[in-house]
Amino acid sequence: MNKARELRAHRRGILHDEKLTERLMITPAIIALAVISIFPLLYMLYISMFDYSMSVNNPTFVGFQNWARVLKSKTFWACWKRTGYIAGIGISVQMVLGIAVALLIYRLPKGQNVILTLFMLPVFVAPIVAGLLGRFLLNSTYGFYSWILSTFFGYSEELFANPTGAVIGIVAIDVWEWTPLVTMIVLAGLQSMDLEVLEAASIDGASYLAKLRYVIFPLASRTILVALLIRSMDILRYVDTITIITEGGPADATRTSGYYLMQTAFRFQNFGQAAVMGIIMIAVISVLGKLFIRLMGRGVM
Amino acid sequence: MKKDLSRLLSLLLCLLLTLGAFSAVCAEEALVDAPFEGLVEGLPAIQAPEGFDWRQFEGTTINFISENTTPSTAIAANIDLFERVTGIKVVIEQADLNAVIEKVGLDVNARTAKYQVAYLDPQQIMAKNKDNFIDLNKFNNDPTLPHVPGGLEDFFESQMMCCGYMGDTDKLLALPYDNATIILGYRADVFENETYKKAFMDEYGYDWTPNPDMTWDQYYEVAAYITREAAAGNITEVKYGCGMQAKQHDSLMCEFSCVLAANGGDYFQAENLGSIGAYNPGPAALDSEVAIESAAFYKKLYGVADPSSTSWDWSGLAEGYAAGNLAMICEWHEFSADFENPSKSQVVGKTKWTITPKGTVRNACIYGGTGIGISAYATEEEQKAAWLFLVWATSPQTQYLCLTSESGGSTPTRYSVYALPDVARGISDPDSEEAAKMPNLKSSGAVQLAWATENSYLRPKIPAWPQCDTIIYTELSKMLVGSLSPEDAMRSANEQLNELTGN
Repeated sequence: MNKARELRAHRRGILHDEKLTERLMITPAIIALAVISIFPLLYMLYISMFDYSMSVNNPTFVGFQNWARVLKSKTFWACWKRTGYIAGIGISVQMVLGIAVALLIYRLPKGQNVILTLFMLPVFVAPIVAGLLGRFLLNSTYGFYSWILSTFFGYSEELFANPTGAVIGIVAIDVWEWTPLVTMIVLAGLQSMDLEVLEAASIDGASYLAKLRYVIFPLASRTILVALLIRSMDILRYVDTITIITEGGPADATRTSGYYLMQTAFRFQNFGQAAVMGIIMIAVISVLGKLFIRLMGRGVM
Repeated sequence: MKKDLSRLLSLLLCLLLTLGAFSAVCAEEALVDAPFEGLVEGLPAIQAPEGFDWRQFEGTTINFISENTTPSTAIAANIDLFERVTGIKVVIEQADLNAVIEKVGLDVNARTAKYQVAYLDPQQIMAKNKDNFIDLNKFNNDPTLPHVPGGLEDFFESQMMCCGYMGDTDKLLALPYDNATIILGYRADVFENETYKKAFMDEYGYDWTPNPDMTWDQYYEVAAYITREAAAGNITEVKYGCGMQAKQHDSLMCEFSCVLAANGGDYFQAENLGSIGAYNPGPAALDSEVAIESAAFYKKLYGVADPSSTSWDWSGLAEGYAAGNLAMICEWHEFSADFENPSKSQVVGKTKWTITPKGTVRNACIYGGTGIGISAYATEEEQKAAWLFLVWATSPQTQYLCLTSESGGSTPTRYSVYALPDVARGISDPDSEEAAKMPNLKSSGAVQLAWATENSYLRPKIPAWPQCDTIIYTELSKMLVGSLSPEDAMRSANEQLNELTGN
């Protein structure tokens, strides 16, 4: 009886030691996470209670006034609405194009890697450089693309001079830069598919469209969701190109929530309200991320 | 006895006065010229107390952030003259104004003094950061350090007030460094073409050449006429009568101000907010009839301008003009050197300048000058090294050097520079050899006229200005693309300004 008790105690001791070791092992990661995420978040919560509008050095405590102001602000919600449709259009185009190109490359008998590497080049360009390229190439005074539009299509205005054109231009630059990433992720999913299933479908006489619908998409659904998750979270923070080219205009057409947040923080130096906007953005992105992860867990598609 | 005492006191007084005068003379004599190269006769020299060690801060690095304007380009091109004498390394970072505002804001908020010297835009940086920059009087009155050569009175008084102080004159925050002003540039080859001139005269009955008496309505008429004739192929040198800096940007507010103030309007009801500045501007004034009419006119003008204007800030407008597309522009005069630079412009030698058109009340040329100041978070040694840089960079000698710089030149902020014979000649005759050597002088005649109190406009200098500015240009941008009527745009801006400033 005593022996059994001793044995249990011994086992508990080992388990206790193992748990302790595990905890010690993850301690550095927790500290790093605290330093880079949790403390800044807590600090943001703290500064969201202060008003910096009159002086950066001597902010005044205002409680939840910043929260009330931001949540009541028409401009803030208008920026989120705009972000929604810019993100919606951008992601839709990127996903359709990215999957289509991945399927094309997947069917190539040779040279897949070379083609993919060339196609991936825009991803290696810094977003700020992509913005500058867009600005210069579409400049109505000396831009090459503007010259093509004007010479061959009779469109002599600058694309970014009207709201619709500006949205199209901003989305097009994002599509140009990030569609290859979607292609790469989806292609990785296609290449990891079990070929026997595809062969079986072919033997059964399935058409290419049927194979797409019943075999390829279901098998690649998780990687497609990963691409969708990455791009969705990223496009909500789309700021660089907007800053370089349109600065939110014309007529607020490209003033997204990310750009408005940046303006509030750095141009207006209103760090209290910017903190509120930042926390809301984190919350939105987290909810979106959680949603996609749950969909992946259910094996949707 | 009383008489003797009074004689003795008088004698003592005389002796004291003599001693005082003698010591003052001695003190003046004790100042010696700094060993900088390229001194120009007739200008106040940079001086320091005898025995001053110009190399005492050798090895110190000063980071200077500035907007990417021609004065900083010229300073950067000549910085070795300063570095050779002082041994101080000056790193000059040039960026778009918005980037400068953001970087300086972050730097002072973090109190890191990454930038020991900053370009202090009076409205967008200085107004909100009074405590973050040192009082330059501290060094200017220090007998062991060099002082501002020529004294503060050698700067234009209105520019000194706008760029140097905030709220009161107790603390000198910056020294005037550049003085960009919006004036009207036009294509002389188009306007002096006799055939075109006569055709316009026949139709409208007046000389179309821009001049200080030209009204905004005439400006519109001329622009509309040229746009129409260019489209018909009758005027071939340009494509449009005018261009505008109408992007959703600070530039839009600046250009609109020239119309609004010319009609007697302003953004707030309080007067003189642009000079010394204020912390609370009081109620906004954009719901006035004048403001609404000015907005309606501005929109009408966009109808005959290059349609790309809504994507142009001041740089875009300058590019459009330099490409030869536009007959008239209201532009910061510092671009005049770029228009005379063959590597940047297709209109070299074809531009003439005058002040912006007259409204119902006056001409109003917006002044956009800026000063440079020293971060309060820099070390004492860095601050003193930065002070030497400020003294050198804003001195008449350096201002003249920059004016003649091959990298584009700048516009002097000193009376003494304008008094030099060659500068005066260059201003009075834009076709002279001097003007060719100093291309910014081509616009200087108009600029000096623009600086006259009756022709100048200073935008409000208040801490909340960056946000006010954004509200104004955003609503104007909505108006230009047709989302809002002029009346709705002005009323919306007015409401937002009052909400923001608590009025």
